[in-house]
Amino acid sequence: MSSDGARAGQRVRRQNLLMAAMVAPLVLFIVFIFLWPVARFLWLAVDNSDMTGNLSRTFAAIGEWRPADGPPPEPVLAALVEDLAEARANGRDGVLAQLVNQRLVGTRYLVIRTAKDASEGKFDMRPVSEVLLAAHPGWNDPALWSEIIRASGTVTDYYLLGSLDLQRSADGGIERVPADRAVFLDALLRTVWISIVVTVICAVLAIPLAQAIVSAPPSWSRLIFALVLFPLWTSLLVRTVIWIIVLQKNGPVNAALVFTGLVPEPLTLIYTRFSLYIAMVQVLLPLMVLSLVSVMRRVPTSYMKAALSLGAPWITAWRRVQLPLIMPGILAGAAIVFVFALGYYITPMLVGGPGDQMISSYIAFYTNTTLNWGLAAALSVQLLLILLLAALLFWTARALTRRRGALA
Amino acid sequence: MKAASIRSTAMYAYAVLLLAFILVPLLIIVPMSLTSGNSLAFPTPGYSTRWYQELLDDPRWFSSFINSVVVALAATFFSSLLGIPAAIGLVWGHFPGKRIVYAVVAAPLVAPVVIVGVAAFSFFAAAGMTGSLWALILTHTALAVPVMLTTVVASLQGFDRTLVRAAASLGAGTMRTFFKVILPLIAPGVVSGAIIAFIISFDEVVVASFLTTGEQRTLPRMIFSGVRESVSPAIASVAVLLVLFSALLLGVIAWLQGRAARMRAGAAS
Repeated sequence: MSSDGARAGQRVRRQNLLMAAMVAPLVLFIVFIFLWPVARFLWLAVDNSDMTGNLSRTFAAIGEWRPADGPPPEPVLAALVEDLAEARANGRDGVLAQLVNQRLVGTRYLVIRTAKDASEGKFDMRPVSEVLLAAHPGWNDPALWSEIIRASGTVTDYYLLGSLDLQRSADGGIERVPADRAVFLDALLRTVWISIVVTVICAVLAIPLAQAIVSAPPSWSRLIFALVLFPLWTSLLVRTVIWIIVLQKNGPVNAALVFTGLVPEPLTLIYTRFSLYIAMVQVLLPLMVLSLVSVMRRVPTSYMKAALSLGAPWITAWRRVQLPLIMPGILAGAAIVFVFALGYYITPMLVGGPGDQMISSYIAFYTNTTLNWGLAAALSVQLLLILLLAALLFWTARALTRRRGALA
Repeated sequence: MKAASIRSTAMYAYAVLLLAFILVPLLIIVPMSLTSGNSLAFPTPGYSTRWYQELLDDPRWFSSFINSVVVALAATFFSSLLGIPAAIGLVWGHFPGKRIVYAVVAAPLVAPVVIVGVAAFSFFAAAGMTGSLWALILTHTALAVPVMLTTVVASLQGFDRTLVRAAASLGAGTMRTFFKVILPLIAPGVVSGAIIAFIISFDEVVVASFLTTGEQRTLPRMIFSGVRESVSPAIASVAVLLVLFSALLLGVIAWLQGRAARMRAGAAS
């Protein structure tokens, strides 16, 4: 008997092992093809190895020397020449020039030309200081050396601070960047604000629609629901492109406005905040309706009827009885819409104006155009943190409404 | 009672208005794409199919369509290969860490797609894989597999496991049981999941815009770069075709779900 039990237990264990083995390839795939690349990219937000790796001799030679002590000493410049020659030999001089240029604009060609001259042996004589500083006086700039010294750690907070419009001051403290370079906080606030507006509009529009779907006779209910959800099956890109066509100067909306005499001539509707809201709401509204309907279907109609029969005005009954009951659906829908809206890229890019771009557009810009991976990664970290914060807020709000529901 | 009927009339009128907002844009581009003019305008100066002909004549549109189909089919295949066994293991197995598995698999669903695109670009460039469609296929598989997994998990929920034991007691091996017993029964869920996976990959543009250039361009990528220059009637025509394509696939899914419901009803009676 006991050996039978043991054998059965063994079989169950083997079965569960097999089942776990069937799940493993999927998990490994997601980890290696998805999580690892994302983690590797996010690490670039603090990674400083391109700097320390390519200037290792220079950093070692610098030691305790500071620009305030006087011009860069001979060993530092000799090490710099060696480092730059090696960077050029390894094809890393372009990357290094870019990194230095990010910290002090206008130093790109200084680094590239010095690296070129160094690799051609132009600075092989000693003392190197005179030749180098005569050929490239830019290396006499104390500001450049301060930036280089500040960038000597294995990790850097440069990009994370930069993504919040902050930088290190000369004394190592944290300060705001000059107003003309401060763009990211605005972009961050704009992203959050656009997402909030879109979420609120979606909720307000979707509640009566979901109510209509739930209270309609079954066949109508199915039809309306299917029609509302249909756009989810068409691509986001296609729906966005359609709004460009519909809202353009000689598009149908303007044609209708002019035809009815509401406006004397076509309006600029596209490439504005207005068109961005319209397109985002149309794209995200079905998701809100979806989560509202699934909650509303579980709410019995008898509660509203009871409140009305007890003499409550309809609006009071709805606000005091129906609204708290469907709140979990509103919160779930709002969470989905808000989180999706935060990461929007295609729609702001195509139907918004230059002043309507969201964080995602900046991430793409710094990757595609300026190859500033560190900043792109820092902005991504920022976006993910906001997503996480939003998820936590919605989760807390949901827990609170649940508890209130339990107490009532 | 009168107030109630006014309220419900208002509610339905509102529903129709909102439906118009959601659906009319998808419909109004049909006549606009059939324009005989050189640019998109409403009302259209005259009707012709010249822009649809242009799509057929321009080899770039055709090759990008082929690329999209190849990538979407491959991504669907790989997400089935990974998703179906994983769904069976998750529903039938008892082992710790299932919640972690679900969290890991759901990650591609919630991550902002630009971050996915940039990360994939940086990863596959370092791996020297940006010259082929493989990078895109693998990333699209990661984006599509969560949906594949959830639909198969849902269709396994109502599955009677005694059928598997019956097959085993009659001498069927694991593979035979899978292909002859399990797969036919969960087929509607698998096909729905596969169609959704196909659509996810076929419509995806952001990752494609980071991972493909030149000859590997997919159809959405073609539209995206075309739109940034100017919205030509050719783009409106592609949009119409894509909306029709989605409607067709949605019809297939609706038919499959109806069939599955009838099958369940038949089994119950």
